[in-house]
Amino acid sequence: MTRLRWNILIVLTLAVGLVWIWVNRLPVDRAQTVDLRPAPAVGHPAPDFTLTTAGGEPFNLADLRGIPVVLNFWATWCPPCRAELPELEAASNRFAGQVAIVGVNQAEAPAAVQAFATQLGLTFAIPLDQDAAVSQRYFVRSLPTTFFIDRDGVIQQLQVGPVTEATLTQLLKTIYP
Amino acid sequence: MLPVLQIGPLSLPTYPLALLLAGWIALEVGARAARRLGLDGDHIYNVGVYALAAGAVGGRLGHVVAYWPAYRTQLLEIFGFNSRAFLLWPAAAAALVVASGYLYRQRLPLARMLDAAAPGALAGAAVASLGALLAGRAYGAAARVPWAVNPWGVSRHPSQVYEALAALAVALLVLQMIRRGSRPGAAALVALAGYGLSRWLLEPFRAPEVSATILGGLRSAQVLGLAAALIALWGLRVLGQRTGEAGVVAE
Repeated sequence: MTRLRWNILIVLTLAVGLVWIWVNRLPVDRAQTVDLRPAPAVGHPAPDFTLTTAGGEPFNLADLRGIPVVLNFWATWCPPCRAELPELEAASNRFAGQVAIVGVNQAEAPAAVQAFATQLGLTFAIPLDQDAAVSQRYFVRSLPTTFFIDRDGVIQQLQVGPVTEATLTQLLKTIYP
Repeated sequence: MLPVLQIGPLSLPTYPLALLLAGWIALEVGARAARRLGLDGDHIYNVGVYALAAGAVGGRLGHVVAYWPAYRTQLLEIFGFNSRAFLLWPAAAAALVVASGYLYRQRLPLARMLDAAAPGALAGAAVASLGALLAGRAYGAAARVPWAVNPWGVSRHPSQVYEALAALAVALLVLQMIRRGSRPGAAALVALAGYGLSRWLLEPFRAPEVSATILGGLRSAQVLGLAAALIALWGLRVLGQRTGEAGVVAE
């Protein structure tokens, strides 16, 4: 191919390329691009649920709209969960009033969960998913699993497996500040 | 959608499995292409494994530096098995340095090695895209087409399949070029141009992700794809001229 034809090809590619990019640009207002159907996937609104906490109080996820939420699924029999719970407690204290830490316990007796929480000094909300219905709705296949939900209730990150202080700091950046 | 492969009591996440398969296919296809180019296929495996190891170390070191206050009180976490505790750019830089060092020490021809690696990388990308389809990741934009898939309750473009088919098509083109005896570097440049153009063309079929935009809403994958394609086309132009000049000199 001659030099001229190459130049024409490059300029044409650039011109058509810029038009296609411009035509497909996204609106700056994120609300226009969020898929409105709740689903346990990044980019979707987090499915709402109502449970009772280990302290006997009603808990509704939608009530937390307006502040970022770290939604963790755990159980007392799960060693990685036990390892990460102190990190979540530390974050709960560090970001008190700015980020909500929620630890959904999966299908365990309320008394056992309450005793375990007292033993570890956990102060964040622990809703009890006694029939594992919320876990199923969130497609939780292994524990721990953690969803990072932004102020608008949209899931921004999903972590399967434990978080450490470093990875928690990293993941929190996606929803806070 | 099949995000988890259930084998008896064992739950295996499909996406990491797909990535492992993609890596193996990339190395195997690359090694075969290398043999066709008259190179030792083992070099492709060596470069791949060394680059992977260097990437893992570099990615973790980058994470440690970036989040040092968190690691300072938990030094053993530096060596922990946490797949999230890696940073991409330090990993890529470390992999590039080690791969370049290997090529330099072995005195391997850079252009030919890139030609050999190109179809493997594309085949690997295709498998990774299909893994994303199974796992419900990187899903498509909402669509009402007969071939739509339905991850998370919404009919969507199977954008991962489009991307896989595009990568495979470019891989086949590049393999064809290698078989026909292309100029050193040409196959790699065609692979870069083809892959870049496919990302530029197909990105709008992916679900919109505002966090992956630049300059007030332009999709960064499209911009990067177009830039890569233009650089590759420019490279092909220069390569054509050089070959032409060389031919004149030879005459």
